[in-house]
Amino acid sequence: MANLKLQHIDKIYDGGVKAVEDFNLDVKDGELIVLVGPSGCGKSTTLRMVAGLEDISNGHLLLDGKDITRVPAKDRDMAMVFQNYALYGHMTIYENMAFSLTLRKEDPNVIHKKVLAAAEILNLTTQLNKKPGQLSGGQRQRVAMGRAIVRTPKVFLFDEPLSNLDAKLRGSTRREILLLHKRLQATMMYVTHDQTEALTLADRIVCMSMGKVQQIGTPLELYDNPANIFVATFIGLPPMNMFDVTVHEEYLEGKGFKAPLDAESKKILKSYVGKEIVLGVRPENLVEGKDIAVKVTDNENLGMNTLVHGHIQDGDRTFDRIVCKLRGWCNYKSGDTAMISINRMHFFDKETTVAITGKESK
Amino acid sequence: MKKEVDANLVVDRMRYTKNKTSANMAILAILFDVFYFVNIYKSDVSNYYYNILIGGSIVFNLLFLLAAFLCSEEIKQYNENYCYLLLAMGIIQFIRIFIIPMRAHNATVVIANVERQVMLNSQFIRCVIYLVVSGVCCVYGALVGIVKSRKLKAYIATLGEEKRRD
Repeated sequence: MANLKLQHIDKIYDGGVKAVEDFNLDVKDGELIVLVGPSGCGKSTTLRMVAGLEDISNGHLLLDGKDITRVPAKDRDMAMVFQNYALYGHMTIYENMAFSLTLRKEDPNVIHKKVLAAAEILNLTTQLNKKPGQLSGGQRQRVAMGRAIVRTPKVFLFDEPLSNLDAKLRGSTRREILLLHKRLQATMMYVTHDQTEALTLADRIVCMSMGKVQQIGTPLELYDNPANIFVATFIGLPPMNMFDVTVHEEYLEGKGFKAPLDAESKKILKSYVGKEIVLGVRPENLVEGKDIAVKVTDNENLGMNTLVHGHIQDGDRTFDRIVCKLRGWCNYKSGDTAMISINRMHFFDKETTVAITGKESK
Repeated sequence: MKKEVDANLVVDRMRYTKNKTSANMAILAILFDVFYFVNIYKSDVSNYYYNILIGGSIVFNLLFLLAAFLCSEEIKQYNENYCYLLLAMGIIQFIRIFIIPMRAHNATVVIANVERQVMLNSQFIRCVIYLVVSGVCCVYGALVGIVKSRKLKAYIATLGEEKRRD
């Protein structure tokens, strides 16, 4: 059982640089939380503060209700898996996995049982007598995870563990982490800049930017109801298309296009009629239709879908860039005109960048 | 029953851990051999030591250092054959007491018309101690190595083919 609470946590470096600002999070027992954001957003710093590798400038960190803000890293009962594996090259895999327990002077037989059990979980039984240099990147990362597992910590911390792996290996190791979480039912915090990892692994995602939490929610919540423009453009691949539009009673008017509003959208935008807002449309929410003309610049066939890149076209003039993810196999050529419609819209306030949900007018 | 399970566990552990006891014993034997030859070569008793025995002793010391280190590395991996080599080297260390130290201890040499004992009691005792400790380390390391290697061999034979390849 491990419940982790981060209350109003700040990290302020010398010179007043705020790396993390007012971070609040309640990690439930057995939950897998993914911190996601671009480089330099403070996600690794947050994880390192949780691990005890960085001092917490302000705020409180509670583990099972006990304040561990000033507790040294070794006494926090947390295990961290690093991007660069941090394995000892001169030791065998067995010795690497047993190392932390050996330091604690645990009974060698107990250590042996724990190492074998972890190796079994991670499918490393046949590699135990090898040195890290003889293993692939994925296997080394599994060893790093094994080293964490044998400690049976209260919380597992992962700092971009898959970033050193190639795309194929990343996929398979990601599934292994997911299986591991299901099997161990342990509380885990996972840092990544890869939104695919975040969406596939997380019970809840914490999206961060510039040291601040932008949104906390389930992967579906972040994908379907992004809280602001940053989250909307960060989550989803290709990123959401953004257009400046003027709200009319029946439609939205952007540069070179008019998009009709359905009843629900009209209700949401009731208080914005006549104002400028930002319209967000996911590439997968664009379908072949009749509302918007797109002058195609590029056509990428992905098998099940086709990515059509182009610019919004009105007569001879072209406007904003747009990316459409159309179903099926399309054969547009550069210069062709594709007619598309929008089947799902997201609205954002132009000044605050916050999502317009219609609730603010009530 | 529990003891039997534990014994199996200890042997199973040996599949992944090194025989450090024996290996360290071999290293310790090297160390005491070094103490021995440093102790004996520092003697200055005219030309008593200028004979074939001391030449042979120097060559043996070199071979001993090399072979003991090799044994240490191999025994670490439970190689039974090298245990026998280490055992033989241990026995030779005991025999060496009777080759140079004992003879030198009983011999006299005339220096400046004065008859002197070649090796005084204190030096003799030190030499004997170093050789005995070196020999004991070799023998103990070898015996532990033999027992462990045999146990491991027997245990691995009981495992299935798949596990044996681990």
